Amino acid sequence: MIQKEAERIFETRELNVNMGPQHPATHGVLRLVLDIDGETIVKVTPYVGYLHRGIEKLGENLSYFQALPLTDRMDYVSAMSNNIGYCVAVEKLFGIDPPMRAKFIRTIVGEMSRIANHLLWLATHALDIGAMTVFLYCFREREWILDLFEMICGARLTVTYPRVGGVRNDVPQAFLDSLWKFTEEFPSRILEYETLIDQNRIWLQRTVGIGVISAEEAVNWGMTGPTLRGSGVPYDVRKHMPYDAYDQVEFDVPIGTAGDTYDRYRCRMLEMRQSNSIIRQCIEKLPPGPVMADDPKFVLPPKDKMLPITQPTDMAYFIIEKACKGCGMCLRACPAKAISGEKKKAHKIDQSQCLQCSTCFTTCKFKALTVVPGGKGLSDEKLAELAVAPDKLPDDIKEAQQNLTRQFDFIKKGPKVPEGEIYVATEVPKGELGFYFVSDGSGKPYRMRVRAPSFVHAGCLPRLCVGHLVADVIAAIGTIDIVLGECDR
Amino acid sequence: MNAANIIDPATLEGLAAFGINVLIIIVKIAVVLAVGLLHVAYATYFERKVIGHMQVRLGPMRVGPHGLLQPFADGLKLFFKEDIIPAQADKAMFYLAPVIFMASAMVNLSVIPYSENFVIADINVGLLFIFAIAGIGVYGIFLAGWASNSKYAFIGGLRSSAQVLSYEIAMGLSLVGVMILAGSFNLSDIVRAQQQSVFGMYVIPQFVAFIVFTISAVAETNRTPFDLPEAESELVAGYFTEYSGFRFALFFLGEYIAMFIIASISAVCFLGGWTLPWYVLKILPFLEYVPGIVWYLIKVYAFIFFYYWIRATVPRYRYDQLMKIGWKILIPIALANIVVTGFVKLIL
Amino acid sequence: MRDWNAIAKAIVKRFTFIEILKGMALTLRRMFSHAVTIQYPKERRPIAPGFRGQHALAKRQGEAKCVGCGLCAAICPSQCISIGRAKGKVTKYEIEVLRCIYCGFCVEACPYGAIALTENYEYSAYRKEDLILKRERLLESWDKYMPGTKGEEYFKKFWRPMSDDFGTPPGQATFRGKQQ
Repeated sequence: MIQKEAERIFETRELNVNMGPQHPATHGVLRLVLDIDGETIVKVTPYVGYLHRGIEKLGENLSYFQALPLTDRMDYVSAMSNNIGYCVAVEKLFGIDPPMRAKFIRTIVGEMSRIANHLLWLATHALDIGAMTVFLYCFREREWILDLFEMICGARLTVTYPRVGGVRNDVPQAFLDSLWKFTEEFPSRILEYETLIDQNRIWLQRTVGIGVISAEEAVNWGMTGPTLRGSGVPYDVRKHMPYDAYDQVEFDVPIGTAGDTYDRYRCRMLEMRQSNSIIRQCIEKLPPGPVMADDPKFVLPPKDKMLPITQPTDMAYFIIEKACKGCGMCLRACPAKAISGEKKKAHKIDQSQCLQCSTCFTTCKFKALTVVPGGKGLSDEKLAELAVAPDKLPDDIKEAQQNLTRQFDFIKKGPKVPEGEIYVATEVPKGELGFYFVSDGSGKPYRMRVRAPSFVHAGCLPRLCVGHLVADVIAAIGTIDIVLGECDR
Repeated sequence: MNAANIIDPATLEGLAAFGINVLIIIVKIAVVLAVGLLHVAYATYFERKVIGHMQVRLGPMRVGPHGLLQPFADGLKLFFKEDIIPAQADKAMFYLAPVIFMASAMVNLSVIPYSENFVIADINVGLLFIFAIAGIGVYGIFLAGWASNSKYAFIGGLRSSAQVLSYEIAMGLSLVGVMILAGSFNLSDIVRAQQQSVFGMYVIPQFVAFIVFTISAVAETNRTPFDLPEAESELVAGYFTEYSGFRFALFFLGEYIAMFIIASISAVCFLGGWTLPWYVLKILPFLEYVPGIVWYLIKVYAFIFFYYWIRATVPRYRYDQLMKIGWKILIPIALANIVVTGFVKLIL
Repeated sequence: MRDWNAIAKAIVKRFTFIEILKGMALTLRRMFSHAVTIQYPKERRPIAPGFRGQHALAKRQGEAKCVGCGLCAAICPSQCISIGRAKGKVTKYEIEVLRCIYCGFCVEACPYGAIALTENYEYSAYRKEDLILKRERLLESWDKYMPGTKGEEYFKKFWRPMSDDFGTPPGQATFRGKQQ
């Protein structure tokens, strides 16, 4: 009675706090609207979309090859894994199989990326909970991995290293040596982090029993990756639907039991050790061989096979009048507008306007366009004398023309892709990253959709936070390991 | 007319003595203030260096050799920064809060015995005075949180006042043992009592109290692992989220001076202040010629280094856990310590 | 049966702060180890060859290799390259580096080996116009950052794919044993 009266007089209400999008602990631009009663969370509403860049829509306007760098910018913490996920999906759609060496290299860099991601996760998670030093120790090792990435592809964060059909380039020996040294030293470094937090009573008090989610519920929420495995569900795409070289290496899938923040932390720590061992196995087993699938339809042709045409600077392009049907292909393709001529009549190249870029050479279907080595600066009459039909050119030039044609077609139109739709999932450090493509047979996807683990996990935040204290929201955000670049896309 | 004709010489002498006394006090205050502010400047530098090296980096390196002028650069920057006051803030309180906080911390400098006979105000209730003034400092924190009209600052202020008040109890109780042993509230007397005691330092007989004191001292000054009021990952910057420029600097100054005070209390009450234990002097008699202030400063900075070391190592407690430690663990231990100390004192 | 040993261990752990002391020992030890950070403008980290930094237009015998075919502009995912041509010459070649995402696709697309990404990453500017790299500046940076045979080496290594990538070239990197 008195309490009711008191409630009437002193109207109490929950404090409504906006956490984010600018907040030190929301890992980017996550916005959580918290209703708090004292320090207890009553309600959490996550708002996402502050980092929306329309990556899925952009992907529909870019060819399958071009859209690859976009995936770097989804989960920029483990860009390599995202690249691999994209490439694996596109390869499935194309129906091509990368060579074994490429698969092993991808597995290596994928696991490196997993370690890098988990290191950053541990760093920020520990920093959020207040263990500042772990942050910098983790970055020390992450830096090593990023340097290794730089060694193979010239970029540290947004790597764009895997390609559809393989990887961009073979790995240098120095990379393998340095990486081996890393794998030898890394376990002791993990012990270092664990010295600081693993048994620390404060860390235990902050993580054990916080954000508990049962196995069943975790599955129902659509959790994947270590976030799910912390609850004891041994689901790992690498084990259940192996891609790349994961069927050729041995590794365990660490799982937790309690499904709390501490178990998820343990899972990720063990996973780093597993990744380390996977990398070691892959280095040991790394087979010799090609790193790109030799499939002319879907990969870029070798550059050195174009050199007979692209290297000399004295080439002249010439249209053989008799063979020209006046289709206008070259006319439309010429970037310099150096070709003139009416429809159905022989076209002509204005040599003073010509850039010698060989675009026309790759478009002519009627063997009318030919190349005259050493013909630059000569008059049309002289060229007509020297010109030979393209099928009578030397073999190396003919091969170069084929490759050049492939190069131009591939870049300007995109590869010809079978129609259909496909969903392919890969295990990125954050969980199951799925790519869904609808292909209408053109060079660009009709629809590209990404199943981002961060998005799904961000949705679980209210479930993990309600009833706990404000400080536990931070632990919950840390434990589900989200990156808003991926969540918002 | 001659001044001597009006005032009788005895009074004049008295006045002169009084004047000299005042002058000495003013000089002392000036010295303490200057050293105090310099301490703050270099305590930040020291902290950044220590934590930097513990984290395999270097800390400030740019301004001056090894970043030695960094504190001045920071001060200059804070001084010239735009002073932003939130539109909905309670202006008067907003202005007042950092001043209260800073002033209450500074006042405490006056009762600390830095060396034999070097104390501005050698009052009989020195220890109580420190606690009383530190209690006023909480107003600064709370008002800052309240006047900012920001939810983060508000929660930070609430947390901080609750935390500081409850840990003050634990800290006060842990010092009761020392008071019983020394039989005085006067800080200089406590030091002298330690010098004459068998142990030389009260940390030996009062070991439990020392641990309680150390833990609650960390909490009292809002440092990791008890830095909840300003837990940046939760509350951005806690009660001074909305402060900028020199008002922010005042909070900063206040915090570092409070740290200095707490380290001083620890040095004075547990580690023997400016004195060395007799057994050390017996083994190494030449140490007697080192001025007392050196020992005092070494003790204080060792304690401050310990603060930084802790900060570099451990995570942060949660609010409810913090209160639980304070009320359910530290206060009972401190009470038990008082009882035991009292009995021992009675028996001996 | 109670495991008294374990209980004793737990008690010792609880009251001696052993795990925190271990952590503190680690941080103290690290205090005396070398810093891993680099004092940036004074020291610079070594840049791996093939770093994807500022662009350069390659030259051969003092002449730009670029013929203006426009493949780089066609593949560029962020469409930051614009090319102008007149009278059989490339008159305009601009890269808006503010939009560039440094994916290196332009290098891959170019059949002429005419564009390269150099190791220079320090070209910030106050004005937007300074960050639209003109043809002259791109050619200059070739001389500046790819002196001597460095440019040739660059294309040999990082102008991909090459025939090597489709075959098994000699000297492929392999695991060289544990003694490495």
